[in-house]
Formats: sequence, structure tokens, C-alpha cells
Amino acid sequence: MHPRLELLQAVTRRNFLENSSLGLGGLALSSLLGEAHADTPRTENPLAPKKPHFAAKAKRVIYLHMSGAPPHLDIFDYKPELQKQDGKNCPDEHLKGKRFAFTSGVPKLLGTRQPFKQHGKAGTWMSDAIKPLHEVADDVTVIRSMKTDEFNHAPAELLLYTGFARQGRPSLGAWTCYGLGNESENLPGFVVLISNGVQPSGGQGCWGSGFLPSVFQGVQCRSKGEPVLYLSDPPGLDRDMRRLGLDAMKGLNELQEKELGHPETRTRISQYELAFRMQLSAAEVMDISKEPAKVLESYGAKPGAGSFANNCLLARRLIEQGVRYVQLFDWGWDFHGTNPNEDIRDGLTKKGTTTTQSVAALIKDLKNRDLLKDTLIVWGGEFGRTPFREGRTAGGQVLGRDHFPDCFSLMLAGGGIKAGHTHGESDDLGFKPAKDMVHVHDLQATLMHCLGFDHTKLTFRFQGRDYRLTDVHGKVVKEILA
Amino acid sequence: MRLPTGLLGLSFTLLVFAAPVARAQPLPAKIDFNRDVRPILSNNCFQCHGPDDKVRKARLRLDVREGATAAAIVPGKPDASELITRLTATPDDKSVMPPVKTGKKITAREVEILKQWIKEGATYTTHWAYVAPKRSELPKTKYQIANPIDAFIFARLEAEKLAPMPEADRYALARRAALDLTGLPPTQEEVETFVADKTTQAYEKFVDKMLAKTAFGEHWARMWLDLARYADSAGYADDPQRTIWKYRDYVIQSFNANKPFDVFTLEQLAGDLLPNPTTEQLIATAFHRNTMTNSEGGTNDEEFRNVAVVDRVNTTFTVWMGTSMACAQCHTHKYDPITQVEYFRSLAFFNNSADADRPDESPTLPFWTDELLKKKTDLEKQIADLETALKGKKPEEMKTERDKLAVLKKDLAAVKPLTTVPIMKELTGAARRKTKLQFRGNFMDLGEEVTEGTPAAFPALKVVAGPQPGGLNRLHLAKWLVSEENPLTARVVANRFWEQIFGTGLVRTSEEFGAQGEQASHPELLDWLATELIAKKWDTKEFLKLLAMSSAYRQSAKVTPELFEKDPDNRLLARGPRVRLSAEMIRDQSLFAAGLLSTKTLGPSVRPQQPNLGVSAAFGGSIDWQTSTGEDKYRRGVYTQWRRSNPYPSMSTFDAPNRDACVVRRGRTNTPLQALVSMNDPVYIEAAQSLARRTIENGGKTTAAKAAFAFRACLVRAPSDAEVTVLAKLFDDAKAKFSKDATKATQFATNPLGPLPKGVDVSEAAAWTVVVNVIMNLDEMLMKR
Repeated sequence: MHPRLELLQAVTRRNFLENSSLGLGGLALSSLLGEAHADTPRTENPLAPKKPHFAAKAKRVIYLHMSGAPPHLDIFDYKPELQKQDGKNCPDEHLKGKRFAFTSGVPKLLGTRQPFKQHGKAGTWMSDAIKPLHEVADDVTVIRSMKTDEFNHAPAELLLYTGFARQGRPSLGAWTCYGLGNESENLPGFVVLISNGVQPSGGQGCWGSGFLPSVFQGVQCRSKGEPVLYLSDPPGLDRDMRRLGLDAMKGLNELQEKELGHPETRTRISQYELAFRMQLSAAEVMDISKEPAKVLESYGAKPGAGSFANNCLLARRLIEQGVRYVQLFDWGWDFHGTNPNEDIRDGLTKKGTTTTQSVAALIKDLKNRDLLKDTLIVWGGEFGRTPFREGRTAGGQVLGRDHFPDCFSLMLAGGGIKAGHTHGESDDLGFKPAKDMVHVHDLQATLMHCLGFDHTKLTFRFQGRDYRLTDVHGKVVKEILA
Repeated sequence: MRLPTGLLGLSFTLLVFAAPVARAQPLPAKIDFNRDVRPILSNNCFQCHGPDDKVRKARLRLDVREGATAAAIVPGKPDASELITRLTATPDDKSVMPPVKTGKKITAREVEILKQWIKEGATYTTHWAYVAPKRSELPKTKYQIANPIDAFIFARLEAEKLAPMPEADRYALARRAALDLTGLPPTQEEVETFVADKTTQAYEKFVDKMLAKTAFGEHWARMWLDLARYADSAGYADDPQRTIWKYRDYVIQSFNANKPFDVFTLEQLAGDLLPNPTTEQLIATAFHRNTMTNSEGGTNDEEFRNVAVVDRVNTTFTVWMGTSMACAQCHTHKYDPITQVEYFRSLAFFNNSADADRPDESPTLPFWTDELLKKKTDLEKQIADLETALKGKKPEEMKTERDKLAVLKKDLAAVKPLTTVPIMKELTGAARRKTKLQFRGNFMDLGEEVTEGTPAAFPALKVVAGPQPGGLNRLHLAKWLVSEENPLTARVVANRFWEQIFGTGLVRTSEEFGAQGEQASHPELLDWLATELIAKKWDTKEFLKLLAMSSAYRQSAKVTPELFEKDPDNRLLARGPRVRLSAEMIRDQSLFAAGLLSTKTLGPSVRPQQPNLGVSAAFGGSIDWQTSTGEDKYRRGVYTQWRRSNPYPSMSTFDAPNRDACVVRRGRTNTPLQALVSMNDPVYIEAAQSLARRTIENGGKTTAAKAAFAFRACLVRAPSDAEVTVLAKLFDDAKAKFSKDATKATQFATNPLGPLPKGVDVSEAAAWTVVVNVIMNLDEMLMKR
């Protein structure tokens, strides 16, 4: 049926109900029918595109998560004073009443070893660890006054993505799809791509749907092997044969629908048709082998690899197809200093250069395709890293930093975000935001704002309470909006 | 077709089409505070003018009459009541309530209700769920009733000008009841016996047979394991494996033994505190050892011990009382009369167990064989003897003995019990912890010390056996939960059983019975069932039988467009229930139809086939697993190893939760990803191949007979002629195609099940596999109907 017609029928039914229900016995029938709920299957498509609360600058999101938390003091937040005091005991005022994951006693301050310069017209401070990003400095906003409440990976990631440090709440991507639906008819609305074969600590909770209907949860796609679980037809069954089967299935389902009269049977038929289409589209979109060599090279992507570079390129291909939210996780940013890869000198330069090549390529690619203006890009970790050397590794040759929730940096670009801007400042040694503190709840509120939502009004009732992404917090950071 | 806007509270898309022509619904003849008024006040006002005095604005309290009449309400005079003035002020008026920035908006009808209520005297009554259930007279109905349930359901249908459906046919009924009671379809023989039985007790006999099967406990355990957040891993970032399957077996065995629900309660919450607890009662306490343990480096054990204890409080009150205590952890509850102090008094009950977020999950209960136990005690004795001999000797003396001692100790360490299960153990004496209020729920920001106690809004906890050292304990709490005075437990439990059988609870929000929960669709019926559950001494099987025997349950699931329009969710039950099967049922049913499902019960969790993902958990091991061998590949879903960071993918696609926390209600979504699972997952292909082979061997001579055989194996009933025609045509088409491509045919007929039996034509086997794969994906197959 034409969607508009379907809608009209639904409306007519609603009117009928409002005029006819009786309030007898217990709950009136009208309230029995009040709202759709997570546990009830519906005959309409919950992922149909929807309009937000107000006109939005961003239509979709690509979130690049650096799992483990990048050492922001060696990337974005240049602290000359910390360099001066390098090797000195950390002042007591910064330790009193604080807990750190792997540091006790009095650690030594650690200035960066990375060369820092201002880049772009905007003069954004960036280190040489992320050289490729220098070229896009005028496309991005850097926030240097981020704050979170958690100093262990899993709770911090959950807080960042679900607004709550424990499992069980819907994630940012799920809320986005719940609010906006999906533009693609053949692909999931929320796709998760993981590089280097390691899940983030927060696990599937970072892309879960919590108490929202599970259609809103992230679908993990893989750049290596079968792109979506169970996507391929079983060995020996070709497309023609599948089509034959689906036609028979449709015929039989229609006979049942006639017999029992349940309209949900029709939804079942349409979901199978969607799955059939998805088999083709997902395989197609996940196959980067036909991308021009120049494009592959710019991202550093290689067909068949499970790399972050491939995933950045896939992110672009997915949003081009209308996917609403793409979440990337890249493992290997936990710079404790337990091995040379976790050293804030060469280790970071290597990790930073390879990965930001792909990030810069993505930003430029989107810009060329005129997609950057309404695609929101976020790059960052779940917290920051300490301005002092990590306790366990302080005696070794490798320089590392501990987890640090009180102050860190994050980068945004695209839909609704200022191009070439720096927001907030940390104090001289980088222990606290000195100006314009942005809590992760504020970040969430701001992302929702860019997508056209008042974060206090995008809610879902569960266990008697209206829940939202920002819990009871969150303030839109107007200063970074374009 | 439902309004997408209902799901979202966004109505922009719709307004384009739907001019707001809806006329207001008439006001109820008599305002009922709980039904009509409390939801309005609770949704719009209590957050700032409710029980929580910390955030109360303007010192105005609307959740109690004294507060409301002191300032905002003049009983009898709506126009003189400030409440109405504020609610009806224009949005640009600063005094308007609720404040514009809250995004809450009261409707004209709601204002009318409040006016009417004030006019009638603004009387408050206690929240319905906090008042003891009342057993009312059975309502009269002109329809034939099978038991008292029908009286309530049918009287309501009459009032709504609806009529019940006739009874479903026997095949439908057999499949429905078998799925509901055992989670599996009935066997052919069970169905035929039932269909052929012309006595009036035929259906009752069938129900009794289902209740007596081992499969009963395996099915009903699933629901309870969701509540108990049972998993085979400890959770958090590295999510290590946890050995706790003895608890899962305890739940299955308890359901099969028809353990009264009150005993089931006492054992799980306080089995360790019962006099001379049995092994079974100790295993039961693992209920609260299913909380997560955090082994991530750098985490504080006390912090996560506290998180686990908080989870135990929240889970206990959710499971038994449908009360979301969680809100009161950080501040006094905004909707229900539970203060923060009361929260921590409830927490005190759980704060003195010996476990403490340790990686080894201690304390645990070991299980030894006689042989192992003997070996262990022998070694222990030898070690003790040697140690006595070495006492007082200098380190350089008796070297041989010392070496021997080291070897013995190593040997002893290698003697491991068969299995273990984490249990609850109450701390005693100086080891006992003091419980203090935690400001904003922060375990480091402590306030006054509190002692064990239950919230004052509920009936007082009476100490039956006299105060023990340390005052009240978990056993007292458990007894209080299942005491006759408790207004919630019986209602909550009855409603949950109802939800499993009928698809939706009488109270739809089965997890929430507080002010923010929904009212029951049939309040008198809910109360009747609650009192019945207690009168029947918490007899679970008896109670489920009562539900299954009702005519309401036995109705045909057929629906007319008019009825579907009026009651799409089937809350009024003018037809039989029809809902999607659970993840476990969908998988088990296919394996059952295939003849592959193992009947082996209990024991360690198994690892059926799952795709290799090539990822590992952060800081943890690989998520992939080695598939179990032999029949363990085909065990019921309830035995599948449950890893929280990576739940069995095909089941989580069908809404199985990861069980990080207590889950009362699972989703029942319908998505394309589910279609991919049941069409392509090798587990389902293998099932299709297996049934295809059975069909060829036993399905009869003709294609039509074979099609009917496969169909019945899956769906219990015989197919119609039209259905047989479709299936037979599919078979012919598929066979024609496979005949031209032996490679494809061989692959599809044998991968992964293995080579065909001798003499079976490969294209025929492949073609029947296609047919079975289609049947196993039919809407009817995925639904209980």
C-alpha cells in the first residue's frame, strides 16, 4: 500500500477510537491503545524517515572512536608550562581526593615530546603526531575542555554513548535512529565498524538499543569476511532459488493472512523482502574493490583488510546510501607506556599518522561530495590522559600516561559545527578545564541539537520514567555551532 | 498500521494529513483518583511537587491531599484553585504550569478531569497497587465460561459490545498450549491422542501432560533466568567466563518439581540463612551472585561490590514488587513514596554478603565426586602430618620432607572440584559492614548509618522469629516479600505469568506497578488472580493450568478488520493470543521439527555453532568459541553459553537480552536481520536438511504427501490444498533447477549436515531443503497463534 494511504488509514482509525472508546472497568480502551511500545510488534516501519523537532544542520553522523583514549596533551592540548615542569613532582592539589586507575603516590609531571604548531587560518594547535589533520584544520572544531565522570574504559564509554555509566540504556546511534529513522531502504540505520579486531571495552552496550525497540540497535558490519551476519545465501542456494522460495513464502503467508486476518503478517512479508534487498545492497556497499585507486590510496585503504582506513571509506559509502549513523571503533589508543606502541613519542606518531590520514581523507572526500555540510563527524576517546607519567610504568623507558577524566580534547567537523575553531581551555598544567567546560552530557546535547532535537524532549518511557540520552543533564554548547 | 508518531511523540509528519478533528472523549461519569487523576499529576507535576523534598519547588506538594489543599486546590471550587489557574495559563505567562521548558503539556481533557475531580471534593486514595488485592464477586456474563477468568474477560467484552471467538481447532490449540507450557511443539503422537480423545477432559489431559514434561521447566526457567540476569560470564570489559550453571539447573528443576513460589523465593534470596541449608538451598542463593564482576585493571573492587549490591536491591524490588527502586538510590523517589534513606535501609539487607567483586567469585560452593574428595582429604592429611613433623625444625633440616611437602601441595592445588557455583554467605561479627547512606548514590560520599528496613509505604515487616544478632536479615526480607500482607508480590507474579501466556500483562508495564506504571486492563481480574495464587499456596503449575484452561485462552486467534482496528494489541481478549515466539523457542522449534533437538537435560552450558567473528573483547580473550560436539550442538537454547559481551548472535537478533541486568519484558520485534538468521544461519539450514531427509524417507509416496508431512512436522496442523499446491510447485521448480546443477544441489543438501544416506537423490534432497527452509520461515512458524 502507498505509505500515504497507510498513514491516512491509521489516522482514520485513531479518530474512530477517540470517538468510541468507553472507560469501563479498568483502563479505558483508548489508554490501552495509547502508545506504541517496545514489546509490541507494529505493522508500520519504525525506521521510516522522520522529521526532528526543528530544522537540522546535520542529517547523519559518523563517530570515530579511538578506543582506549588518546593522549590529548600530545595531540591537541599544547601546554608549554607542563613542558617546563616536566619531571617535577605532581603538585598535591591535583592528587588530593582523586583516584587514578594505575597511579598512586606522587607521580612526575610529563610534558609532551611532540612538536606543536598552530595550523590553518584559524591557528588551531595540533601536534605532529596527527600531521595529516593539519590540512583540514580549517574544517574542524577542537574542544579542549571536555570532562567526564568515569576513569575506567567501559563505564566511560557507556557514559559517552548512553549517558549512563552502566549497561542498559540506549546508545547515541539508537537514539538518533529512534528520532530520525533511516534514509536507506536496504541497509540498517545504524552501522558499527570495528578495526583491529578488538571490541571497545563498553562492549555491545556502546551500540545497544537499551530499552528502545531493538530495531534501533547498531548492526555490526565487517570489512573482512561476511559484511553482516548471515547475509550470504547458504552454499548452493543461488539468488534465483532464493527468489523462488520467497515467492512461495509470500503466497503461503498471504493465505494465512486471509485465514486469520492479522495485518502483521504483511509486515513479515515486507521484512523478508527487505532482507532480500539488503543481501544485495550490503554486499555491494561493503565491497570497496571498485573504488578508484586514488581514493583507496588517499584513505590508505586496501580491499579485504579489516583496517580503520577501510572503515573510514566504508563510513562514507554507507552514509551515501542513506545510513543514518555510522560508528567506528579503533583499538590501540590506551597509551599507558607498557610497550613501545604505547609510547607518547614514536608509538603515538605511528598510530596518529596512519589513522588520521584516513580521517583527513574522509573529511576531504565528504567535502568534495558536498556531504560534509550535513554530516556530523566526531573524533575522540572516552576520556583523556594524565599530565603525569603513569605509575606502573614510571620507572621504564617508555613514556605513558594514565586515564584522566577531568579534562580532555575532542574534535568535531561537519553538519552544524564551526569550521576552524577552538573551544575551551585547560589550565596551565592541563588538570582542569579553565574555560568553557564541556561535559560529555553537554556534548550529547549538542550532537542532538545538530540533528534537530531538543535533547530534553527526545524521550522514551520505560519503567514509568521518561528517559533521555542526557539523563537529567546536558547543555547545548552554542559556541561551537556554525 | 499504527501511528509512527505514537512511538516517538513527534507528530509533525502526521499533522500534514490529520487535521485535528478528534473530538474530546467524554469525561468518566465518576472521577476515580487512581484511574483518572494520579497519572496526570504523576506525569506532569510530581517531578517538582512530589515526594522528593530536596527538589520540591515552591514548597508545594501535590502527591498528598494536605499538601495540595494547603495552597493549590480548594476542594469543590475548581475556579478558585490555583492549580487550574496555572495549568490553563497561556504559554507566554511566566506562571504557567508545567513550565514550558519541561516540554510537558497538559491537554484540555486532562484539565477537565482535574476540574471535575476538584469539584467532587478532590479526594485522594492510596495508589491502587499499594492496597491489598480484594477478591471481588465474579461478574455476570451471558457467555459460557470455563473458569472465573472468563467471567471477568467476557463481562468486559460485553460492556465493550464485543463477543469472544469460538474455540480454536484442536491442532491450533495443541500447538499453542504446548509452546506456552513447554516451549516446544507437541509430538505427533501427543497431538493425535488429543485430537482423537472425545471425552470432555481431552484438553485438560493434554494440558496436564504438558505440565508434566521436563521441557516445562526448561521453558519456564528462561523467563526466570532473564529476571535473575543469569549468564555464563562475569560482564564488563573483559567479560571472563563464569561457572554458575548449577544455578540454571536449580531453576529448571524447581519449575519441574513445582516448587511453591514462596519457597522458591526464600531459597534464592536467603537459602544460606535457612536452618541447616541443603546444597540445593545454597545453590539457589546464586540468584544474587549473577551480578556482574569487574576485573578490568585499575578498577576499585569496593566500588563494583557496591554496584553489585545496588543491583541486588533493584532486582529484588523489580522481580517481586514491580517497583523501580533505582530512582531512590540517588535521591528520594520522584513519583513513589520511597525516600533515599529507605533505599539504603533496603540495601542494608544485601550489604553483608561475603562476596566482594573478586575475580575468583569467592565464596563458591564446590562439587566433588567421592573419588576426588578422597584424594583431596588424603593429600590434606599428609600435608598436615608433614607440617606437624617439620614444626620447629630449622630450614636446612629434613630436606627430603620439605621437598615432599612442596610436591604434595602442588598435587593438592591440582585437585579441582567437578564444578563450583558462587553463593551468598552472610558475614558475621567484626567482618560485618556498616551501611551508610550514599549521597547522590556515590559510594565514597557517605552520610548517616542506616539499619535494615523496608519502605514505610508498604506493610510493616513483622519479625516472626525474634530479632537475630544484627537485627533483620535477608530471610526476613524474603518472608516479607511473600507474606499475605504484601500487596504487590502476588499481583506482580500473577501478572507476569499472565503476560507469558497471553502475550501482554493485565498491567502492561509488568516491570512497574508504581505511580508511573499503567493501570490494569482488568483490575478486578488481576486482584482475583493474586488472591487465587495465595489461596493455592503459590502453586505455579496449578496457576498456569488455570490460565491455560480458560475459554479466553482457548479462543481462535482469528481477527476481523473491525476488531483489529478496535483492539490491535488484543488487550480485551476478544480473540486468542497471537505473539512472536521467543528467541529460544524459534531455534528449539526448528531443531525439534528437524528431529535434531537433543533431549539431554541440565549440565554445563554448551556452544552451538555460531559464526566466527574474529574479534576479541577489550582486554579479554577471543569472542569466538569451539563448537560443542555430538548432541551438545543441538541442545535447547536455555543451555547455550550466555556471554554478556557477545550473546549468541542468532538469539540476540530475536531480542534475547545480554542479561547485564534484570529483564522483565523482552522485545518482540520483527526485523529483516531476523529473516537473515532463519533463512541463512547454518543452524537453520542444517535443520532444513535434516527434515528434508526425514520427509523423503517417511513423508509418503507423492510430492503432495511429502509436502504435507514436512508442513505438519513444523506447524502441527495439516496444510490446506492451496498450501500443498504452493509447496509442491516450489518443490518441482527447485528440483528442476537443482537437477541441472549437481554441485549446487550437493552443497545445499549436505553442507553442513553431511553426506546424504545411500540412494537419496541429491536434487530431490536439495529441493526439499528449499521447501522446508520456506516452511520454517513462515509467519505462522514464528508466531504462537
